[in-house]
Parts: sequence; structure tokens; C-alpha cells
Amino acid sequence: MRAPFRLQFEQRTETPKRLGILVPVVSVFAALIAGALFLLATGHSVGDTYSNMLSDGFFSSTGITDTLGLSTVLICTGIAAAFAFQMNLYNIGGEGQLYVGMIGATWFGLYFGENLPSFLMIPIVLLGGALCGAAWIAIPAWVRARLGTSEIVTTLLLTYVAASLVNHFIYRSGSYFRAPNTMFPQGRQVPDSAMLSPIGDTKMYPTFFVVILLSLALHWMVRRTEFGYRIQVISDSPRAARYAGISARRTTVQVMLISGALAGLGGATLIVGSFQRLDPGIVTLGYGYAGIVIAALARNNMAAVIVSGILFAGLRSGGDKLQISTDTPIHIGVMLQGAILLFALGGEAFRRYKIRVVRTPAVRVEVTA
Amino acid sequence: MNDNIWVLMTGDSVALATTLILAALGALFTERSGVLNLGVEGVLLTSAISSFIAADSSGSVWIGLIVGSLAGALLAGIHAVLAVVLRANQIVSGLALVIFGTGLANYLGKPYEGKTISVKLTDLTFGPLTDIPLLGPILFEQDIITYLAVLAAVVSSLYLFRTRPGLEVRATGDDPATVDAQGLMVSTIRIRYTLFGGLVMGLGGSWLMLAESAAWHQAATTNGVGWIALALVVFASWRPIRLVIGAVSFGFTLQLPYTLQAENITFIPQAFLQMVPYVATLISLIALSRPGSTNALGAPKSLGIPFVRDER
Repeated sequence: MRAPFRLQFEQRTETPKRLGILVPVVSVFAALIAGALFLLATGHSVGDTYSNMLSDGFFSSTGITDTLGLSTVLICTGIAAAFAFQMNLYNIGGEGQLYVGMIGATWFGLYFGENLPSFLMIPIVLLGGALCGAAWIAIPAWVRARLGTSEIVTTLLLTYVAASLVNHFIYRSGSYFRAPNTMFPQGRQVPDSAMLSPIGDTKMYPTFFVVILLSLALHWMVRRTEFGYRIQVISDSPRAARYAGISARRTTVQVMLISGALAGLGGATLIVGSFQRLDPGIVTLGYGYAGIVIAALARNNMAAVIVSGILFAGLRSGGDKLQISTDTPIHIGVMLQGAILLFALGGEAFRRYKIRVVRTPAVRVEVTA
Repeated sequence: MNDNIWVLMTGDSVALATTLILAALGALFTERSGVLNLGVEGVLLTSAISSFIAADSSGSVWIGLIVGSLAGALLAGIHAVLAVVLRANQIVSGLALVIFGTGLANYLGKPYEGKTISVKLTDLTFGPLTDIPLLGPILFEQDIITYLAVLAAVVSSLYLFRTRPGLEVRATGDDPATVDAQGLMVSTIRIRYTLFGGLVMGLGGSWLMLAESAAWHQAATTNGVGWIALALVVFASWRPIRLVIGAVSFGFTLQLPYTLQAENITFIPQAFLQMVPYVATLISLIALSRPGSTNALGAPKSLGIPFVRDER
């Protein structure tokens, strides 16, 4: 038995410009519609849920500044993922690198903070976090380059190890990271010199602008430098890269280390920003995993990550406030993230191919085996 | 006395291995047909909460198992459409499935947070066999799904390596162009096994709820078992029998922290024990890797590559 219709794919030689914008926009709307159907089916009000999410996420002054504040870490994990993905290196352990970045940033803050002034401490803490994030991906990077071990599984497994480390540093009595003499175990606050103050009355920190500049710088680097060119050649054609004398191995390690460092930096921005201490609550927030979605939606374009990062921060922040404003479970936010990505992936097919439905011929010559 | 707890622990490991076997077996079938579904963790969570809700509202474990399995197949269906029909990037699609499935499961599970269900799969008893020292509690005191999982692995092995349809699956994963030239529909075969894989994973996720934890605790319910299952498939070189052996040893390391805690062996911090399964998986993956190619491991040669026939 055969279906009377089949899909015919015709490779596009050139993608029309309008589709580049249209596909992401349509996928966001399609996901919202799917989410609406789901809300209806489970007996929640669509209008209330969405209007609350939108106003708490984007269209109120506290809403949008909360969103931009949250977007700082999400853009970090987003560029971390995008930077590796563009070379077909799937670092999906950004979550773990973020934890270790937090641990590292906290350590540098606690260890040097009392004696050094703030203008030195902030860079030290941020770089310390980045360094530790890079260290956490070093083994996956090395075995990927040397032995071809799938970085997907190794980076992910290390995330669970990192989560145990965070718990260990907070729940073990007498730990360096643990605040002494508190009833409930919690992290020790970093000294004032290792903290930034928020901008005005908002939850935004100056790190937001640092991260925006960093994304743009990386965007430029990938397009305009020799290192970026190397990455593109390797991802387009590993064989051509080899003939050109480009070492895929070295570039693999470099790209993965940078990716880990960016995720670690994301963890460090939390320490100098709103967290101020190592907090085991981080393991439930999934900021690192969100980076994967953000990167995929931005099609691994570092500048576009800024936009998709802010979009997701808004969905998150608006979704998280739902618990207060309505009875809808906050997880609708996470669901919508996943749904947007699924639709965007489906939409990708329309960018790459002309898809036509053709009628299969009614009479077929049956070949008997 | 001490022997006793180790026997219990091995028995528990065999039980824990059930989800691992089923989840990994689902992934194995999917991957053998050439489709890489990284969404196992999302599928497990969604099927777990679906089975929980179904069993809770119907009062029947069996309805729970069926609904959970179907939910797994449904979620895998999304992946099949994206990966096979629309030729999307399978890695990203699988990851999207994890995020979507986690959100969906937590959304559906919100009203059931921390609740337990009254019904539960019971262990089968084999009369005198259970009383055999050492082996009795390990081999003859499990529930029916655990026995089914092991049996399924054996049957799968025969199916894949001794039957015509099994050959077709393997060929589709290795060399889809040849399968296509034989007049078989590559996309149909791939969609079928992606769905079937989801069904099997879904059974594993349901079992986790109905035999193991029996209380819904958000993402902590699966705790990364889906990812370990994916590593296990690599570890087993895509062979069902080796997969069972791997699953039992991983079940043992997953169980270890709790047993040592029960035994009051506390000189190793709990956090480090919790790392053991992940670190063990990591080390075994690296040890199995060879420079140059993944083929030394026996991976299907077209794994994760969409099949595109030259269309006129």
C-alpha cells in the first residue's frame, strides 16, 4: 500500500532573504499556537497566561529590565553553544561548565577579594570563571580531537559530575564555599570588591553590556579573521582543510576550550551579579541547556544569539512569574522553548528545499522480488 | 550479615537495569535504522508522568504501562517527522525533544508533585527458587517487566542478526542507498523504528514510575538515565546482549551510593559516589574510542545522516 501523495524536495540554490526572517518568526508563532491548544486542553486560560507572560517578560519596565538581566547569562551560554556548533562540535555540557565557572569565580572572589580593589577583582573573577569552564571541557575536547570520542555524551556526563561537585561544596560541613554558622547550608558571600551593583533600580548588571560586546566581537572574529576562516573551512569540508594544511585537531581543541570558557563566564556573571555566592539552586535552573536552544534558534550566528537570548529570557522570566499571576504551571515556559526549537527545525526544511506535494502515479509497475 | 546487603544490592541493580535496558534498547533500534535520537531523557520523563497519571486515575498498572509506552512513541514521532521527513539536524532535534519533553512532563506533573500512587508492579515469586542463597533474591525476585526486558534483549538480538527484517534495519542504518535500490522505502523503515524505539523507551520510563520510585519528583525522576542509556548503546557496540551486561553493571554503580550509605560506610563523601556511574561511563567511552574512526565501535555507518535520493 502506498500513500497517494508524496513530498518532493528540491534543493534551493539560493535561499530567499525573506525566509531568513520569516522562518524564525513563524516558528515562534506556531509554537505559541501549539502552546495555546495545550493550555486549552489542560483547562488553563490562554488569554491570561499569554498576556501575563508578555507583560511580565517584555512590555513593562520591570519586566523588560528583569529580562535583560536574565539574558546576560543566557547569551553567554548561547554563544558558548553556537561557537562550538558552528564547527559541528556539539558541546551540550554548557550546563556543567557553567556550574564549574560559578565554583571557580566564587573561589577567586573569596580568595583574593579581601585584599584587592574592585576594578581588579571583577575581571579576575570573570576570567577565573571562564578559565574553570574551559578546564571542565578540556578532557572532552582532547579525547574528541585525539580519539574521536563523541563530545555530545562526554560533555553531558560531566554535567552530572559538576552538579555533584556544587552540592559537595555546599553541603559538606566545613567547606571553603559554605557560609559558617548558618542553620541551613548555604554559600559564603563573596567580598564586596567581587560584586557589581545593579544599574539603578533594576536587576540588570553592567555585565550585560560586556556580554553583548563579546558576542559582537566573536561574530566579527568568525567572519573576519584567519581563525574564523579556519573554523569555516573545517566545518564545510574537513578534507579541503586537510589539503590546505589546517590542523583540524588543534582547531577542535581551541574551539571547544573557548566554548567551555564562555559557558564558565556565564557562571561568573551570576557570581558578580545577582547570586553573589555559590548556590546549589543553580542546578534546577537549566541556564546552560537553554543556551543550546538559543544557539539553534539563532542558527549559530553570534549576533543573532543576542536576539534569541533576549527572547528566551523574556519567555523564562514571564513564565516564572506566572505562578504568582495565574494558576498555570511555570513549566509552560520551558515547553514553549522546546516547541519553538522544534518548529524552527521543521521550518529549516523550507529554507533549504522547495517542498512540493506530488501525486504518486496511479499505476505502478510492481517489481516482485 | 554483610553478604546479605550486597545480595540485595545486586538484586536492586538488576531491577534498576530494567529502565536502562529498555531505554537503551529503544535507542539501539532507532540508531540501527540510521536515526540518532538524543531525546531519550525527554521521552523517559514524558512517559513516566503519563504512566503515573494513567495508573493513578485508572487504578491499573497495565493501563499505566500502555499509556506511558504510547506517550514515548508519540514523542519519538515528532523526532521522526523532523529527522526523517523534513531532514532536520538530528542532534538539535533530539536536544529539542529533551527540552520539550522535560517541560511537558513537569507541566503535566505539577499537580502530582511528590505524590505517590497506590498501585505498583509486584515482584513475581518463584516459590522455592527465591530461597536459593545468593542467586535466589537476585534472579527470582523481580517484576515481570524486568524479565521481559532481558527477554526482549535476547529476542532483539535474534531479530537483528537472524531474520530478514532485521537485516533490512541494519542495512538501512549502514547503507540506505542499497536498501533503496532494493525497492524498500528507507524513510518508512526509519520512521517505523524511530516510533518503535520510542515505544520501548516509553515502557522503560513507565517502569521507572510504576516499579521504582513511584513518586513523581520532576526531573529527579530520571536523573540522567536517558543519557547513560545513550552511552550504553555505544558501550555495547549496538549489540543487544552486550547491552544487558552493560546495563547491569551500570545499575550496580547507580545503586552503590545508597548501599554504602545503608552500610554506614561514610569515608567516601556521598557526592563522589554519586559521580561514579557518570565517571565510569565516561572512562569506558574513552577507553573504547580509537583514533580515526568510530567504525571500530561498530556504529551504523549512516547514523544521523538523512537519506536523500537523487530526485528527478
